[in-house]
Amino acid sequence: MSSERRNNVNNYPEAVAKIASDYLERVKSQLCLVPSRERDEFLRELQSHLYEAYRQTPGEDDVGRILEVLRNLGEPAEVVSDRLAGAMVRSGARRSLPLYIVGGILIAMFGVPLGFGGVGVPVGLVFALAGIVLAYYATAGSILLAGAMSMSMGLTRIFLPHLWDNLVTLRYIQMNGAPGELFDHLSRSEQGFLMILIASVLIASGLGMLWPGRYLLRGLRFLFSLVFDWTRRLAQSVRGKLCGDHHTRPHVGDVSFANNGQ
Amino acid sequence: MGVLYHERHYGYSLVRVLSESGSISLKEGTIYPILARLDRDGLVRSEWVESDQGPPRKYYALTSSGRQLFDELNQEFDLLVSLVRQKSKVPEQSEQTRKKLVVRKA
Repeated sequence: MSSERRNNVNNYPEAVAKIASDYLERVKSQLCLVPSRERDEFLRELQSHLYEAYRQTPGEDDVGRILEVLRNLGEPAEVVSDRLAGAMVRSGARRSLPLYIVGGILIAMFGVPLGFGGVGVPVGLVFALAGIVLAYYATAGSILLAGAMSMSMGLTRIFLPHLWDNLVTLRYIQMNGAPGELFDHLSRSEQGFLMILIASVLIASGLGMLWPGRYLLRGLRFLFSLVFDWTRRLAQSVRGKLCGDHHTRPHVGDVSFANNGQ
Repeated sequence: MGVLYHERHYGYSLVRVLSESGSISLKEGTIYPILARLDRDGLVRSEWVESDQGPPRKYYALTSSGRQLFDELNQEFDLLVSLVRQKSKVPEQSEQTRKKLVVRKA
């Protein structure tokens, strides 16, 4: 072993102690949902493992030894996978948070990275659906607004020609290219009627979009209530099982070792 | 469970026994979730024991229900092995029969 300064607790060299404590911190951060007593006990166990494994790993390079120990131990996500899922389900059941329960179950089924991905998928789907509805209504609103503006312009052209001329002079209203040329060939009232006609088509389209939008909203609400009901049932079932387990499971601390003296 | 049947172990010693026996190759960290699950199911019990060489060790041993389950699993495994052996004998017999038939034809 090198003659570097040693860590007080486990007699590690300074660099090794830093690497080990960094690893334990990463594990600790992944266990934020686990009850503190359980988390501290698990961290003590890991600390013990690191010490034993480091002591029994041969080699002159201290840093190389601890890195090999950590490599053999695995990523923090792998080490905590089982505890995190259970803790999330228990926490979700206690605090009535269905998303925690679903997340815990997905993590238990697919592991930490895929499990979080699994939670992300339904959340992303919900946001995507909400986005589609929002975009749909924004389009309908824009078409209605364009229709309303076109209608007011048409009415202005027919009934307030001086105001129209002033707006054109002040360049608030500009019409270039082919539409401008077409309008130049029409009389004042024809221009007004054409704009009112376009406005009517736009308003009808906008209102037409709002009509099926009601069904879209109703369908989305049904989907949300279905998902919510499903997660609520799941939460109730998990909570029921957890309560059942709590009453039937034997308490580890109540049993003493049969071969304690070995 | 088989390793814990006769002797109690702490996490690292269990990993050492498993890796030295050569039967199982596993990431050391995966042993703790398994032990935690067995502990939660009441199949093993755990106890902290002070060590004179470093931090305290958490020892695990099978509970009576753990031993019972291990015995049952062992019996089922033996039964499965015997079934597989019986099945593997059947193709050998048919192979011999086929050879006999070929000889007769020739």
